[in-house]
Amino acid sequence: MDIGLLHFDEPKRDTSRKIIHVDMDAFFASVEERENPNLKGKPVIIARHPKETGGKGVVATANYEARKYGVHSAMSAQRAFELCPHGQFIPGHFDLYRAISAQVREVFRRYTDMIEPLSLDEAYLDVTSNKMGLKSATLIAQRIQREIWEKVHLTSSAGVSYNKFIAKLASDFHKPAGLTVIPPEDALQFLRELPIEKFYGVGKKSLEKMHELNIFTGEDLYQRSELELIHHFGKMGYSLYRKVRGIDNAPVQPFRERKSIGKEDTYHQILRTEPEVIAELRKLTVKVQSSLSKNQKHGKTVVIKIRYADFETVTKRMTLPHYVRDKEELFFQAQNLWYEIGMIEKGVRLLGVTVTGLDPLTFENIVLPLWEAEASNKEIETEND
Amino acid sequence: MKFTIKRTAFLNRLADVQRAISSRTTIPILTGIKIIADRDGLTLTGSDSDISIEAFIPIEEESNQLEIEETGAIVLQARFFNEIVRKLPEETMTVEVLDRFQTSITSASASFTINGIDANNYPHLPVIDENESFHLPVNLFKQVINQTVIAASSHESRPILTGINIVIENEQLLAVATDSHRLSQRVIPLSMTPEQAQKTYNVVIPAKSLIELAKTLEDTAETIEMMVTENQVLFKTENLYFYSRLLEGRYPDTNRLIPDQTATSVEFDAHTLLGSIERASLLSHEGKNNVVKLSVNPDRIKISGNSPEVGNVEEEVAFKSMTGESIDLSFNPDYMKDALRAFGQMDIKVKFTSPVRPFILVPAAEGKEFIQLITPVRTF
Repeated sequence: MDIGLLHFDEPKRDTSRKIIHVDMDAFFASVEERENPNLKGKPVIIARHPKETGGKGVVATANYEARKYGVHSAMSAQRAFELCPHGQFIPGHFDLYRAISAQVREVFRRYTDMIEPLSLDEAYLDVTSNKMGLKSATLIAQRIQREIWEKVHLTSSAGVSYNKFIAKLASDFHKPAGLTVIPPEDALQFLRELPIEKFYGVGKKSLEKMHELNIFTGEDLYQRSELELIHHFGKMGYSLYRKVRGIDNAPVQPFRERKSIGKEDTYHQILRTEPEVIAELRKLTVKVQSSLSKNQKHGKTVVIKIRYADFETVTKRMTLPHYVRDKEELFFQAQNLWYEIGMIEKGVRLLGVTVTGLDPLTFENIVLPLWEAEASNKEIETEND
Repeated sequence: MKFTIKRTAFLNRLADVQRAISSRTTIPILTGIKIIADRDGLTLTGSDSDISIEAFIPIEEESNQLEIEETGAIVLQARFFNEIVRKLPEETMTVEVLDRFQTSITSASASFTINGIDANNYPHLPVIDENESFHLPVNLFKQVINQTVIAASSHESRPILTGINIVIENEQLLAVATDSHRLSQRVIPLSMTPEQAQKTYNVVIPAKSLIELAKTLEDTAETIEMMVTENQVLFKTENLYFYSRLLEGRYPDTNRLIPDQTATSVEFDAHTLLGSIERASLLSHEGKNNVVKLSVNPDRIKISGNSPEVGNVEEEVAFKSMTGESIDLSFNPDYMKDALRAFGQMDIKVKFTSPVRPFILVPAAEGKEFIQLITPVRTF
């Protein structure tokens, strides 16, 4: 690529890594089928029945039977009901899913610690060097799939390649219970034959634009110059130019940094007075603070979330020039945010306090205890209440 | 209203009053400047409702070349009125209010006519009882302001900390500012009548007001008069009245925060130390952690900064003397820079008690009149 006086070398492909992407097949729905064999062969939709919620819910997952009717995740439960009225609507049992997900992760950990979970049901594994000393990533993927089946009686699909981007495409290629291996020598052909919407980052809007530009497949994309793609799609164009050439150097990140830490509580008895709200905020900030210090994090932005009796939900954030960690300061900011937007007359059913913009706690600005006397007075006051 | 005046004399006063006028006010008339002409001279008023400034130009001061042909009052848009006056061609200028508040400004052959507003619509400034006043030495008070405002908070999350706490008692004035990471405190003596000395005042004045006040204070003036009411303060020099709102709320008791013990004391030339800190902070500013580390040993004092993203720096710092134990601690270099600049060129002592306790900077020539306190950064 040439820009002005500058010439940039063509990017080069790194095929030295061995990456596996494992994706549990229709995870939540399959768990429900496992728990209740009567569901086998019936369309299962993980969402509360729209009749119970007044049509509010969203589909978390649908099994393959339900997908035949066009039901898919993130669709409104109401729409799913219209498409598949005899579908089995089941509210999610997320504690169970989490527990199974942890069991699956134990299987991964037998082979490598380089695990990057994307959600409860999928993860990237870098097995370039692995605990078993195995050369073949394909063999590892097969073993993992078998061990998951033996341990939790659920099927998974796996993709094997030399980077995360292709591995994920591969796991999606044969589902359910599939294993697709795309070695470096086949990668370019595979990518060129791919429909353009399969490329990560190409959403609804950019798909339209792609079609306008007569780009329908990887091959069409491959023919475009880097400058042209950057011109039309900015940073995504830069990345797509590389992806279609099989280049994606993003590492598997076993310790994805947490971006925020928060706590929220739902109140069965609607809060109707300000002192109640303030007392709950104090409880929440204490919990958030202890979680922050447990995770050795501090952040600069405090967010409160309020859900009123009528389900209207509002949030408000405040970014400070310094890190908050001290619980008095956190409480003070949360309280101020409440004073700014809170409407006690509407009745409060849920409160949340979150600290975002987290950085690892490698240092801490020591704060002068200016309000120490004041804070202890306040605590006495609330106790008297 | 009609008057003629020497343009530069008028412009100086205009600039003073302009300090109180904000173009971003929600009250339209406050974008204007009020001019009153009476038999004694001109009074100019500007306000943003937090600060109000009133300047007087007396007719008797001949250098003003002020002639009042007709008394009266008008409010003019401050921003462009100021621009017009600045750009007029002649040494003198004439302002005359015509029909329906239209106002003409003429100087030699240049003539502007601008729309004014009825001065009766301008809000009234507070009336402050001038009986309870006392005098402050201008030069020292300016120092007090410049040395303390640096530590005031610029963030509205704790409004009271955006102010300077001024306590007057026992014939001295104590000024304190803190943003909870650092603190600056200055004490000056006051000469008071025995009756005044009986009284105590404890107020919190917005730092912003004091910064503007310091700019209007001419070095030629010797004293400034200060008057306090429940929610206002008035500073008065011969021809300038400066009103500021006071901040509500209780200022924290800061006296207990200043350590009275010292484990390690080092004497530096403030200016030399400032140079070293400035160099060390070059990289820390680029990195995520704005922290530098100071290692104090009897034979060697070292300052270092490490920002994993950019690189690291190390420097041996020149010092005059050191007593006490060796100590290692980290701090935000920006706080240190502000504090050192407030000392200017003089020898100072930096006194440490522990790596996680506040340390203080004081003039080397002992005395408690000026203290800068900085909290260190705990590293993990």
